[in-house]
Amino acid sequence: MLGLKKLKYKKVFARIINTFMSLPPVVVGLVVALMISRRGPLGYLELLFTPVAMIIAQTLLVTPIITGIIFNNSKERGQIIKQVCKTLGGDRFDTLLLLIKEMRIDILIAVVTGFGRAISEVGAVMIVGGNIRGHTRVMTSFIVMNHSMGNYSTSIAMGIVLLIISFITNSILYNYMAGD
Amino acid sequence: MDIRIKDIVKKYDGKTVLNVENLCLSKGKIYGIIGPNGSGKSTLLKIIAGLEESTKGKILYNNQMLSKVIMKKMTYVSQNPYLFRTTVFKNIAYPLKIRGIDKEFTYKSVKKIMEEFEIDNLQNQLATSLSGGESQKVVLARALIFNPQLLLLDEPTANIDPNTIELIERTIVKINREKNITIFIVTHNVGQARRICDEVIFLKNGTVIEQGKTEDVILKPKNSETKKFLSLEYHMS
Ligand SMILES: Nc1ncnc2c1ncn2[C@@H]1O[C@H](COP(=O)(O)OP(=O)(O)OP(=O)(O)O)[C@@H](O)[C@H]1O
Ligand SMILES: [Mg+2]
Repeated sequence: MLGLKKLKYKKVFARIINTFMSLPPVVVGLVVALMISRRGPLGYLELLFTPVAMIIAQTLLVTPIITGIIFNNSKERGQIIKQVCKTLGGDRFDTLLLLIKEMRIDILIAVVTGFGRAISEVGAVMIVGGNIRGHTRVMTSFIVMNHSMGNYSTSIAMGIVLLIISFITNSILYNYMAGD
Repeated sequence: MDIRIKDIVKKYDGKTVLNVENLCLSKGKIYGIIGPNGSGKSTLLKIIAGLEESTKGKILYNNQMLSKVIMKKMTYVSQNPYLFRTTVFKNIAYPLKIRGIDKEFTYKSVKKIMEEFEIDNLQNQLATSLSGGESQKVVLARALIFNPQLLLLDEPTANIDPNTIELIERTIVKINREKNITIFIVTHNVGQARRICDEVIFLKNGTVIEQGKTEDVILKPKNSETKKFLSLEYHMS
């Protein structure tokens, strides 16, 4: 929706979003880890090596991607949709609903891309989560660990599971959003 | 709806593209704007429609300033119409839907207007798969379904075959007579202006060069610029 506002700092915002879209996950992980480590500014929350920390890191990675994709696509078409809605007597709320409806494919692409990034991510998650068994160990960190320990077959098997999950999720998302 | 335009100036990056001192449109009449490309026709329409803000001046709608209530009573159809990614029926029904009109009444109204534009066979087709002429008819039906008091049309029959033009013109005039709505229409087709407009305004470089009864402006233009433009337009069509 940001793409539609006549913001003064829109260009700056677009720059920042574009930069954040391509942030190296390891850097994000490192920054989050520093913030929440015992001696960091948020250390008192004791979040390091917890799932919450991983969620924070993932959110930081994925949000700019989703926002960025929607932002770039909504700039032109969104403006037209907004105008049409206005000329037909729609208010702000109608416009918002219509935008979501009309741009559902763009939103879907953004969400799928974001999801892909999140599920395949390992660097940031390992730094802030620590790959603790039964707690913060996720499939990607499991694969990396088994691979470095020489358990190739286990890591390949897990890789296949990961692929299947990703495939199923994508199919569900597509069916849900594109079907109408 | 009566419209009064007073000293409207529009500048883009310091460049004046529109400068209209005085223009009144009275209720129930059809006005045509003619003029070369880039003369500010679309800009004028968008300002009246409340989509663009003028740099200076004001517009009164039935003696009132622009408001949400007024916005709901008028409509504008752009030069490049946009249809929603859904069926023709849902496209046309949209303005009634956001006004909270019940389903039964909506169904009847949509049916009726589809018949007038001869598009009832397209009801369930996806609007994005229509031909140019069909799209134009759907866009007009969608704009007219909620009985606006002011209709602003930006070249509604560009790239459309003569049969469809005839149907569109006939329907526009019919609705104008029935509902007494004010219509402001940009056209490049001088013949069209003669067929449907009560008055014609000739715009050039953002200013009104000549304005008056259609027959007078088109057959007996006073201004040499208008003469030149008209003879060229006639020659080409
Ligand atoms: N958003 C904008 N920014 C800068 N200049 C603009 C903008 N919109 C329109 N203009 C300029 O204003 C002038 C008038 O444009 P407008 O679209 O009103 O012309 P028009 O009479 O509708 O032309 P046409 O017959 O080609 O549709 C043009 O010179 C155009 O380049
Ligand atoms: Mg134009």
